[in-house]
Amino acid sequence: MTQRKRPSSTQSSSQRRHTGNLVAQDEDDDATFTQPSTSQVQRGLEKLTPAQVDQKTAEVVQYFLVKDQKKMPVRRADLVKHVVKDYRNIYPEILKRAARTFDQVFGLKLVEIDPKNKMYILVNNLETPDKASPVRSPSNPKMGLLLAILSVIFMKGGVVRENLIWNTLRKLRVDPGEKHEEFGDVRKMVTDEFVRQRYLEYVRIPHTEPIEHEFRWGQRADAEVSKVKILEFMGELHEQDPKTWTQQYRQAHSLPNSSQASTSSSSQR
Amino acid sequence: MKRSKGGGDEEAPRHNGSAGRRKADQQQSDGDEGGSDIGPADLQDDDNDQGLRREIRSKYRDLISSVQQNREDMLSPSNNKLTEVLEEANKLFKDVRQAREAALDAQLLVVATDLGKEKASQLFSEGTAFDPTAFAEHLLSFMGLNRLEDDEDEQQNTANGYLPQDAWHRLARRAECCFRTAPSFHYMMGSFYAEPPPPKQRIERQRKAPSKEAKRIMPTQLKKMEESQQEATEKEVERILGYLKSYYQDDPTSPISYYEFVIDPSSFSRTVENIFHTSFLIRDGLARMYLDEEKLPCIAPVEEGEVEAGGSTSRKQCILSISPKIWKELIDAFDIKDSIIRPPNTQND
Repeated sequence: MTQRKRPSSTQSSSQRRHTGNLVAQDEDDDATFTQPSTSQVQRGLEKLTPAQVDQKTAEVVQYFLVKDQKKMPVRRADLVKHVVKDYRNIYPEILKRAARTFDQVFGLKLVEIDPKNKMYILVNNLETPDKASPVRSPSNPKMGLLLAILSVIFMKGGVVRENLIWNTLRKLRVDPGEKHEEFGDVRKMVTDEFVRQRYLEYVRIPHTEPIEHEFRWGQRADAEVSKVKILEFMGELHEQDPKTWTQQYRQAHSLPNSSQASTSSSSQR
Repeated sequence: MKRSKGGGDEEAPRHNGSAGRRKADQQQSDGDEGGSDIGPADLQDDDNDQGLRREIRSKYRDLISSVQQNREDMLSPSNNKLTEVLEEANKLFKDVRQAREAALDAQLLVVATDLGKEKASQLFSEGTAFDPTAFAEHLLSFMGLNRLEDDEDEQQNTANGYLPQDAWHRLARRAECCFRTAPSFHYMMGSFYAEPPPPKQRIERQRKAPSKEAKRIMPTQLKKMEESQQEATEKEVERILGYLKSYYQDDPTSPISYYEFVIDPSSFSRTVENIFHTSFLIRDGLARMYLDEEKLPCIAPVEEGEVEAGGSTSRKQCILSISPKIWKELIDAFDIKDSIIRPPNTQND
């Protein structure tokens, strides 16, 4: 993406060059939405006041923040239908400004995790801390469980049959068949909630009888979770040097962890 | 690989049962079962023996299910279970005559091959293998598992030791270092109470007003209400207050355990009634509950004038639940022999 200087812009801050995964010049059609061309966007902007555009941008930002509370990804179709509405002809510009707001105001990054279905999530733009924060903020125990599951999947090469996960959880005193006092319906949480949040993928293995599924890392996990840090944690737990797991070490260090959009995840499988 | 029992990348050819198997046999066997040719003598009798057919099919099914159920066991590099299964299948195959059994044999081969492929990938992976069982054990230690005995039988994997309350929170905090999760957006002061549309509002106000007034005048009206409708409850509550006060006055320094107070070891329903009536004492500010050093609930009467019912002191509410099972456990734990609160029928007023 090239940098553009807009004559009527009220913002003095330099326009950031976003990584290509955001407002790509893609020509694919959404069922309800066609990405407007740059000239269309230009024309659209000329017809609106800066205040209107700012207002719409702010609404998009709010929408994302609220959706992010439950860690549900945002679909472009929903965004356009519920928030952008009449401003859809300048959609790319609004999204670009929203991304800039996230970056500069909130320290968050707007990431497209699914270029085909146009889904977005917010991730933290700040580096992961080396150790737990000294601030005693309430932690979500589900993240602990998720870490355990993602670790097993990663260390086992990226795909595992579901029984391995269930058995490992049972050894951790979490039985998917019973109601857990902290997590409730564990099976539902793992196969439904985590999947909808895109932390995990739960895919049916064909030709299995009885039906079996396998687990993989979801697109959000690819974007949010650092394999390097997981390997470090494994090293701590097993009191081994992370380098002893050569395959996993290679995988963890092969790509920069900051912007792992879905395109890069395929090469890790 | 010499002994390609599992098949590795090449799946054993799955032609119709017999031909393919003979070829695979020659590859697989280490010389122990050289020829698996069918002799002419067998053909006549075994062909039609329904009992034998069924037996063979049933054994195949057992083998298949044993491979599926004990998958992880068989994957472990420390044993040769998969080999044993295949040898067993080889033996069975000698008696296979009909298509049904051969189909089962093929199914077993699919399942075993799949397992073999996974075992093979274990062999070829460089670096240290990852064992989920060991991982789980380490995680439990990390989460603060208090192991009861020093020597546990790790192989048996019996559940020994307690996980502390915050076990999963500990792991979650460690997870924060691995995740770049966006912090969730929350209003700092919570949201303001948005007013509902007018019609609803009117109804709500009407409903709210009487209850507020009712609450305010409850202390004075209470006696009247209860006398007419719930005289028995009122009397019971007073009676229990009497017990509490006298018990307390016997030894004002020693705290009264709440459980010992309300539990009637001879009747679960009486216990529930006691809890119910005691809650009125608390609600009206005539008794208070607190936790002692061991975090066990205790109850004590409130000195007159100390707290006023409906006053502005901070009120805490909690919900108590009890089941017959918990009731029995409490009786055992506190060694409760008889009830402090005598049942009403036995008491002479």
